[in-house]
Amino acid sequence: MITAERKPLPEIKESISPYKKLLIVGCGTCVAECASGGEKEVALLASALRMDAKKEGRRVEIREITLDRQCVYEFIDQLTALIDQCDAILSLGCGAGVQAIAEIFPKIHIVPALNTTFIGQTREAGLWVENCRACGDCKLDRFADVCPITRCAKSLFNGPCGGSKGGYCEVDPETPCAWHLIVTRLEESNRLDKLGSVQPPANWSKKEGKGPRKIVREDQRN
Amino acid sequence: MEKEFNFAIFFCQRLDPEQDVNRRALEKELGSRIKFFTLPCSGRIESLHLMRALEAGADKVYLVTCPVGACRYKEGNTRAKKRVEFARKLIEEIGLEPERFELIHASSPFPNTIDDIARMLISREKGLTQSPLNARETKEAARNTP
Amino acid sequence: MKPESRLRKILAAGQFAVTAECGPPKGADPEAVRKKGNLLKNCVDSVNVTDNQTGVVRLSSLASCAILREEGLDPVLQMVTRDRNRIALQSDVLGASALGIRNILCLSGDHQSFGNQPEAKGVFDIDSTQFIHLVRQMRDEGTILGGDKLTLPPELFIGAVENPFADPRSYRARRLGKKVSAGAEFIQTQCIYNLPYFKEWMQQVRDLGVDSKVYILGGVTPLKSVRMAEYMANNVAGIDIPAEIIDRLKGVPSKDQKKEGLKICVETIAELREIKGIHGVHIMAIEWEEAVAEIVEGAKLLPRPVL
Repeated sequence: MITAERKPLPEIKESISPYKKLLIVGCGTCVAECASGGEKEVALLASALRMDAKKEGRRVEIREITLDRQCVYEFIDQLTALIDQCDAILSLGCGAGVQAIAEIFPKIHIVPALNTTFIGQTREAGLWVENCRACGDCKLDRFADVCPITRCAKSLFNGPCGGSKGGYCEVDPETPCAWHLIVTRLEESNRLDKLGSVQPPANWSKKEGKGPRKIVREDQRN
Repeated sequence: MEKEFNFAIFFCQRLDPEQDVNRRALEKELGSRIKFFTLPCSGRIESLHLMRALEAGADKVYLVTCPVGACRYKEGNTRAKKRVEFARKLIEEIGLEPERFELIHASSPFPNTIDDIARMLISREKGLTQSPLNARETKEAARNTP
Repeated sequence: MKPESRLRKILAAGQFAVTAECGPPKGADPEAVRKKGNLLKNCVDSVNVTDNQTGVVRLSSLASCAILREEGLDPVLQMVTRDRNRIALQSDVLGASALGIRNILCLSGDHQSFGNQPEAKGVFDIDSTQFIHLVRQMRDEGTILGGDKLTLPPELFIGAVENPFADPRSYRARRLGKKVSAGAEFIQTQCIYNLPYFKEWMQQVRDLGVDSKVYILGGVTPLKSVRMAEYMANNVAGIDIPAEIIDRLKGVPSKDQKKEGLKICVETIAELREIKGIHGVHIMAIEWEEAVAEIVEGAKLLPRPVL
C-alpha cells in the first residue's frame, strides 16, 4: 500500500486557520491500513481540532466523511453534495488523493493533512516498511525477491558494499542489509550462481519518465 | 464559585462484576459530573473514546485496568497503555495537559467495587484543574449571567 | 613524455607495489594538495586521492589528481558513483585521461547521510561493479553505454576495492571474483589488522583462481592510539581489529602508542609480503600522511624501484 503519516498538528492548524467550515475527508484504503487517514483517524483529528478551537475560543464547524478511495473520480463524486457547505477540505488521503480531489473541485482549497511516505507492506501490526520504489521495470526475480533499488541504501545491483555488518546496513543499523538477505537466500537454496554475472545498469527512464508517468488502456476507457 | 470537576471513568468489567448496581450511588450524587463506561477488557479502549470524553466536558478521564499480568486476554491491559499514551500525545499537541488522561493498573490492595474505586480516584485528585475547554465555557457563562 | 601508469608498470614488473592515500583539503587551496603530494613523492609508487570521502565536501579528486600529475606523481583517481550519473561519470573518465591521469579506482561511495550534506540526493545511477565494466568498455572497445564510439578511448589502469572483513563473509571472495570478471585489474583492500582471517580469505581467493587474474594490494592503516583503535573497531563497518592488537597498544604508555601503532603497521606489511597473491600494499594514513615515509622505510621498501 501507499503509506503516509499525519503532519504535525501545528502545521495543519496553520493551513486551515482561515477557515470556519471544514470538511475532513478520509480514505478507506491505503491510509486506513497504515492508521493515518482512515475513518478512525478522521474522527481523532476532528476531535482534536474541535477541542483546539474551543480552547482558543474560535468557532469552527467540522464535518467528517471517509471515502472508499480518494484517488478515483467515482468516489470523489460523493463529495459534491457536501462541497457547498464547507469552505475548505482537509484531506487525509495520500498525495494522489489530495490532487485528485483538487482536480474535481478546483475552486475549493484542499489542504493535505498527511505526508505521503512510501509504497510498502504491513510487516506486523504497527510496523510498515518500504519495499518498492515503482521503478517501472521490476527485476525482483533476479534478486531473490528482495528489491535492491528500494532496500539497499545505495541501490546496488551487484552488492553488497563494504558497509554490511552482521546482516545490517551501516547507514541505519536497524535496517537489514538487502544484499545480505539476497546472498543468504540464494546460498540457502543453492542458487548463488544467479549472482555470477554482472547486472547491467538500470534503465532509469522507466522511473523518471518524461516528467509524471501515465498508463493508458483503451480497453478500459469509455 | 466552588470548583466542581467532571470525571469519566472507563474500566474493565472484571474489576467489579456488580458494577451496574455499585455505580448508581455516585451517579446520583454527582449527576452529569461523572460518567462510567464499562469495557469487556481495557484493551478494547480506543483513543477516540478518551478524546470524545474530554470533548464532552470531562476534566479528567481514567482508564482502570486489571493488574499487570492478570488480564484475562493476556495483552489487553498492555495494549490499553499504548492507546492511552497515543491519546496523551495527541492532546499534548493541541496544548492540553496529557495528565488529563490517566491509566491506572489495579494493584493490591485495590478496592473491589467501582464505587470504592471511583471515590478513591476522585479523592486523590488534589492538583486537578478545570479543563481549558470548560474554563472558557464557564467564563462565557459567567459573562452572560446578569 | 607520454603519461603512463607507474602502478601498472611496477606490478607488471613483478615488484611489490606501494600506494598511499591522500585526502584533499576542505577548501580551494591547491597548495595543500601539492604539500601532501610532495610528502609522498619518493616513498610510494602511486597516490590515491579520495572522492568526497564519507560524503564530506572536499576539493575534487579529479582536480587534485591533475595537480598531483603536475607535480610528477602517478595519481589514482578515486571516483564514487554516489554523486554522478552515467553522463558525468563517463565525461570525467575522459577528462581524467585527457589530464594524464592513468589510474582509476571505481567505488560506490559512502552514503550521503554520513557527511555534511545529508540532504543531498544520492545519485547511484550505476554501482561500482557496473562502473568497472563501463570504464573497461570505454578503454578496450572505445564505446560508451549505448554503443556510441569515442573519438579517442581513455587510457586507464582500472581498480576496485574489496573488504574481506565485511559481511556476509562467506560471499566476499566471490564478490571479488565478480569485480574481476567485470574488468578490475587491481584491487586495494580495506585495512587489515586481522592477519589470520585475511590469510584465510586469500586462500578462498586463490581457490577461486582469482589471484592470477588481478593484482591485490593489501590495505593498512597505522593506529595512533587505543582510542582510535576502539573507535574504529566499534563504529566503522568492516573493520576487524583483534583484541591482541588493542591490548598491545594498551600495554604501552600513551605517548608511545603512535610508535607502537607504526610498528604494528610495519609488521603487517612484512607479513603481507609473504602471502601468495598479494602484490603490494596500500597505506591509508588518514590525516597522517607524514607517517607514510616512516612506514615504507620501516618495511624496507625504500628506495622505490626506478623503471
